[in-house]
Amino acid sequence: MAHQTDSGHHAGPQHAGGHGAEHATTTGIDHRKLLMWVFLSSDCLFFGSLIATYMVYRGQSLVGPYPVDIIDVPITTVSTFVLLCSSFAMVRALAATNEGNQSRIQFWLLMTAFLGAIFIGFQVYEFNLFRSEGLRIDTNLFGSTFFTLTGFHGAHVTLGIVWLLGLAWIARKGRLGPRTALDVELAGLYWHFVDIVWIVIFTLVYLIGGFDTGPALPEGTEILHSILPFLG
Amino acid sequence: MSSDPAAHQSRHPTLKQYVAIAIFLFVVTLVEFVIILPEDFRGAGWTIAPLAILSAIKFAAVIFFYMHLKFDNRLLTWIFLGGLALGVAVVFALVALFSVWTPSPRTWAEERAQPCLFDHEHGGCAPLAAAAPAEPAPDDGATESPGSSAPVAPAPAAGGLAAQGQAVFTGTGICMTCHTIDGVPGAVGIIGPDLTHIATDAATRQPGVSARDYITTSIVDPESFIAEGVERATPGLMTAAIVANLSDADVEALVEFLMQQE
Repeated sequence: MAHQTDSGHHAGPQHAGGHGAEHATTTGIDHRKLLMWVFLSSDCLFFGSLIATYMVYRGQSLVGPYPVDIIDVPITTVSTFVLLCSSFAMVRALAATNEGNQSRIQFWLLMTAFLGAIFIGFQVYEFNLFRSEGLRIDTNLFGSTFFTLTGFHGAHVTLGIVWLLGLAWIARKGRLGPRTALDVELAGLYWHFVDIVWIVIFTLVYLIGGFDTGPALPEGTEILHSILPFLG
Repeated sequence: MSSDPAAHQSRHPTLKQYVAIAIFLFVVTLVEFVIILPEDFRGAGWTIAPLAILSAIKFAAVIFFYMHLKFDNRLLTWIFLGGLALGVAVVFALVALFSVWTPSPRTWAEERAQPCLFDHEHGGCAPLAAAAPAEPAPDDGATESPGSSAPVAPAPAAGGLAAQGQAVFTGTGICMTCHTIDGVPGAVGIIGPDLTHIATDAATRQPGVSARDYITTSIVDPESFIAEGVERATPGLMTAAIVANLSDADVEALVEFLMQQE
């Protein structure tokens, strides 16, 4: 984090965004912060593509398991709560950084990472459950799009956890404070972004798409639904 | 943009506001969950709009307060909302392109779906309707050269009707998905009783009931006789969907065919 040496020049407990004294800027925004927002903006397109793919193939699977067979909305609601809590912990971490309270910075950063890890734990549990119930990434269109979308989100969360743990390590050495608040703020922006992506995925894949069923068979052949499992 | 710390601080939400937003996000998520709690509401079309709106409200709360776009340089808001708008446009464009303006692949498949039989030798799925005529063909001796044909044909004499019966057995009746008859291709089901010697067995099952009557009754009303040692995987399975599809002529042909399984 080269920034830390730079930031020694700052005059006061400034927060990112406004000070352009030693960085030449035509926008009045710190370059790193601008870069982060541009990245998040582009990540919208990344997840937009994955969500579009999920939507296009939604309800197109010809073999099960279908969402209604395995999606567990109550459990995922709990993990959604956990992720929302982690966002709150994250804003507390940034507030503590602005106050320069070392032990609190560490506590809230670790709390955020911990809650993120619980969310990932839920996801690992869910993926394993789905796998044991016969849904793999190559089982059907639902499996392919579901695992790709939620898997990439999980990867984002995992990266965020690593980032937060790195910050907590720096905080342990007492090197985080008002002057380096941007370091924490950038991680926070990323973390909150991952949270809002989940808000969208939770609504689309679980609340709206979680009850999708299999194909309607032609009249007279519905019986195949009940006997296919026996035929293996 | 002022670099005065006091002024800067005032442009950030206070702890109280952060707590309020956290509670707000909780409550909205809870409301979303409650919306889909009643079984009738799950997956109902009308739930999409409220769920999407609630989700958008949470989204806005997080980006404007937790990510303090509301208090930050306006340029950042435009940068992010620009990317977001493009992302949303991608979703709508692709969904329109693949789902609205073209028939969905599954609708296409549903319209053309036929019951099929897994081909254990070659893999894949053979449509039943196609499988049926393939077998009885040599059996059509009735119309070509009676008597001379088919060592495989169980009883050439009644070839016509019995052949039809076999076609029903492996075709529209989908009997063979559950019943086995040795020598009848595809008839390897194990859910229902083995029918290889049903004509012989049927004669001894019920005192006073002829084999023909026993078979007929068992098709038309499968629940009347349950043979010893038969476990019904799904009671009513056969009655419900299969028998309803068979015409009287189908049943007659089927009985003729089964009467030859001695």
